[in-house]
Amino acid sequence: MRKIFPIIFLSILIISACEKDDFCVQNPITPNLVLRFYDDANRENLKEVLRLSVWAEGKDTIQSYKSIDTDSIAIPLNSIENKTIYHLKMNNIDGAIANNQTATFTIEYKPKEEYVSRSCGFKIIFNELDFSSDNTWIKAFTPNTLTTVANQNAAHVQIFH
Amino acid sequence: MQHMYKYFISIYFLFVFVDGFSQKQENDTIVASKTDTIVYKTNYGLRVGIDISKPIKAQFRGGYSGFEIVGDYRIKKNLYIAAEVGYEKETTKEDYTNSTAKGNYMRLGFNYNAYKNWLDMNNEIFLGYRYGFSLFEQTLNSFIPNVNTQYFPANEITNSAISKNLNAHWSEFLIGFRAETFKNFFITLSGSYKIITSLKEPESFKTLFSPGFNRIFESNTGFGFNYTLTYLIPFKKK
Repeated sequence: MRKIFPIIFLSILIISACEKDDFCVQNPITPNLVLRFYDDANRENLKEVLRLSVWAEGKDTIQSYKSIDTDSIAIPLNSIENKTIYHLKMNNIDGAIANNQTATFTIEYKPKEEYVSRSCGFKIIFNELDFSSDNTWIKAFTPNTLTTVANQNAAHVQIFH
Repeated sequence: MQHMYKYFISIYFLFVFVDGFSQKQENDTIVASKTDTIVYKTNYGLRVGIDISKPIKAQFRGGYSGFEIVGDYRIKKNLYIAAEVGYEKETTKEDYTNSTAKGNYMRLGFNYNAYKNWLDMNNEIFLGYRYGFSLFEQTLNSFIPNVNTQYFPANEITNSAISKNLNAHWSEFLIGFRAETFKNFFITLSGSYKIITSLKEPESFKTLFSPGFNRIFESNTGFGFNYTLTYLIPFKKK
């Protein structure tokens, strides 16, 4: 009978030492909007945007998107507004300011809180998204609307240029 | 790293108990050979008291208050039926949420005394089982959406949302030590491991604390601790 005490205690303490909900390990919690860039002439192929800088209306340039060559970006949406306007500046000729081209990409949505867990708290998911662009260097994009952005496992918008 | 420390500490605890029991075993064999034929009578009756760990915890931790009445009744030499009723209120402060749960609870079950007493002593090392249930409400006082970005910071949302008529049912396994300090007056220390069997959750949130259960872990389990002072009202001796 007495041998049962250490066994019970051991199992209790091992279980207690393994509880995993003290730290939020999920990352990111609130999804970013993922844009992928494709070749307008050959729409199956990814095409890098050269010297791309990204910033939201009235904000500084996002640190990780400062004059870089990339075919994919993940940008945060403003969870306390219903609309985020992004400016995407690229230069596919050289570094000269005169050759910079800036496009505007506007995202409208309805943010909604969703509970995740004790350590992660609430995340924001974005519903009923509506995209629009001023079509400067962005020739086209698809889709025009999206039901929800709840994760960022795959690209949300394909942009052709 | 923190988990590593926890693990080591856990292992030390184990050895503390292994050591303790190996010594008691020796006492038993000596006593058994000497006191074969004499029967020592002990008191049977209703034992009632309070859990003083809860008022103490309330003194040291803001956002907590609690009160618990405990009782047990001896039905066999080593078997007691036991019950606890109480009230608890706790504010759970997490990184992104702040919520308060409050309500009443009850636990019913039995204790089995696995300790062989010397002479007419009434000490116990007991194992127990409880079925517990609680009726409570939980208020989400405030929360900050976890937007994981400084680029668009989120605002704290303070419209508190109250969820009433929540309930929890659980099973509880406990181990405890009880000592008779004065005649019919007992001090008891016990710890328990609990598993939720059913839980009514608030809409679009989660129950993080249930009265009587304590913090509910992600795996729907929890731990409890009691430190009680009880008085035995003796009915008969046998």
